[in-house]
Amino acid sequence: MRQTILLGLEQAYSNLVHMIADFLPRFLVMLIIIVLGLVVAFVLKYILRAVLGLTKLDRVSEEAGASRLLRIAHLPSMTVLLSRSIFWVTWFGFILVGLSVLGVAGLQGQISRLLQFLPEVFVAILILFLGLMTANFLSRTALLAAVNAGYPSPRILSWSIRFVIWILAISMTLEELGVARQTVISAFSIIFGALMLALAIAFGFGGQDLARKSLERYLGNTKKEKDKEPQPL
Amino acid sequence: MPPPFGDHVVGSFRILQFESEVSRALAEDTFLTDDLLRQLMGVGEVDLLVGIYSHSNTSTTSHTLRAIERSFQQHFTRQRAVIVNTCGGDKDEGNAAAAGLSNVAEKNVRLAESASLRTVHQVTGDFSAPPSAAMALRTILAAADLLRARACAVVSPATTNLTPDWIANLLRPICQENVDFVAPLYTRHKFQGLLARNLLYPMSRAIFGCRIRELYSDEWGFSGRLAAVCLSQDAWHEEPIWTRPEAWMAISALSSDFRYCQVFLGQKLQTTTGPGTDIVEVFRQTVGNLFWCLESHQSAWLDGERSEPGQTFGPDHELTSEASDLDRHRIFEMFRSGVTELEPILSSILDPETHAEIKSIVSLEESKFKFRSDLWVRTLYDFVASYHHAVINRDHLVQALVPLYRGVTFSFLVEHSDSSPAEMEAVSEGLCLEFERQKPYLREKWKAKVEVKS
Repeated sequence: MRQTILLGLEQAYSNLVHMIADFLPRFLVMLIIIVLGLVVAFVLKYILRAVLGLTKLDRVSEEAGASRLLRIAHLPSMTVLLSRSIFWVTWFGFILVGLSVLGVAGLQGQISRLLQFLPEVFVAILILFLGLMTANFLSRTALLAAVNAGYPSPRILSWSIRFVIWILAISMTLEELGVARQTVISAFSIIFGALMLALAIAFGFGGQDLARKSLERYLGNTKKEKDKEPQPL
Repeated sequence: MPPPFGDHVVGSFRILQFESEVSRALAEDTFLTDDLLRQLMGVGEVDLLVGIYSHSNTSTTSHTLRAIERSFQQHFTRQRAVIVNTCGGDKDEGNAAAAGLSNVAEKNVRLAESASLRTVHQVTGDFSAPPSAAMALRTILAAADLLRARACAVVSPATTNLTPDWIANLLRPICQENVDFVAPLYTRHKFQGLLARNLLYPMSRAIFGCRIRELYSDEWGFSGRLAAVCLSQDAWHEEPIWTRPEAWMAISALSSDFRYCQVFLGQKLQTTTGPGTDIVEVFRQTVGNLFWCLESHQSAWLDGERSEPGQTFGPDHELTSEASDLDRHRIFEMFRSGVTELEPILSSILDPETHAEIKSIVSLEESKFKFRSDLWVRTLYDFVASYHHAVINRDHLVQALVPLYRGVTFSFLVEHSDSSPAEMEAVSEGLCLEFERQKPYLREKWKAKVEVKS
């Protein structure tokens, strides 16, 4: 009996020693990978910051209206945000790789799924950024054109364009991330369709005069209106 | 009596030299078509060259060609001359133009009538689609360079009352006075050309020191030397000069110390083609172009001082004052609504102090409104600096200036409703001096490190 207990303890000790002997190198490898990841992430962060500084991304972001949104959300500038993102994404990737070295059962599958999801996150961020830029550019184009042509309520027109493009960009982003794909598509179709129908009905019933005047302005009386301004050249 | 042997050798040498240059042009990756090069080789060297862009003006091209031909016959009987007609898209157009010049079967060469001692050639640069103004000008410059033309001019078929004297006036200062760039002067209604009067002329005068009133015109003259210099520049692919290359050419001439002058041509009547009074399009083509020229020629003006008057043949200005049907109230309302609606855009372009002053005058009643010249100059210099620093999209920036220009226009119309031409000239001169006085402000803003405004 005593012999059996001692043998069991010896076996358990031996297993523990084997486990530690087996785990410790893996743990060290994981630590090395994480530290290496930290260094790589820092290097990438500074390289990206320098490159973005040269390309004047902050100015583009300011122009696109993205910086304004970031300020509202109490976030740093676009360059800082992107360089920090690259730091964390890189380090996080290395941490996941390091964890996978440990060989914990069940963790491998989750880690590989997470790694597969990262490119989609990047694409989603890119879609959102381009969407914001396009929305800002087109809404400003519409605002300037409407103001210079003397159309009424130019800001409403400008904001409508911005709003529609935002909705489009956000739904595309969510679709890329695979968040409630069907719901997002349905919601977008309903909102966009309803908006267009509302505009068509409003213009058709409520704005008959406006429609007539607009058509007259485009088709017949353009020259008369222009003639009321002195010839610039 | 046969010519001396020496002359014969020199003549042969020149022909060989010319042919070798044409061959070199052929060997290079030239933008001229084979057909055009063939026509140019058939012409040989010339003294005078007049170019036209006949596309989109088929109906008046024949009149223009006849005026050019008569000008050669009446004023330049001994000079070798060529007309370079650039057209594109419409095949009938080229045919109509050729028919306008001559009834003989061969369209490219014809003997001029009685007075002229030389052959007047016509070559046609036929493009598959209507070329841009810059492409058409580049073709004309390349032709001038290949044919070693001494004096050249560009005229527009859109000008319906073009006379042979106009062409002679554009070419003569180059032939006789060794001038390199000839700008036209026209008779104007007192409220016509306010963009040139209040912005283009005073700004270009203050910055580049060039006193050219009609920097953006459809007719101008230039020497073969200037043609060669402009042709060699790497600016032809730049979008701002596609529609209005003439101001760039004038500014290039001034930046390279070429001589310029102005000649008075008379009253100008135009067809209704082109941007006309579409003010946004005019701004894009002229103000956008001028701002781009400031950017691309900054080394020429950043350290320059005051402007010097250039030579002018004929009166410096001539104004008429018939009654006009201008809607001042609408202009003022468009200024007011423009400044209000574009506030976020203007705040990113203008200096805060300038913006505050503009907002303060917007609230004034129509009867008390006045856009002061110092504020206008400061506003423009803020726009120029913001254009340089690309604070917002440059096309948007130029468009954002339109409502402010309307404010200045309204102020001008009210102030000068009963003014005489002399009084208007005095005020314009004052504006020019204000632009020159505030030039250090522009330099300072231009060189300042850009800050992204929150």
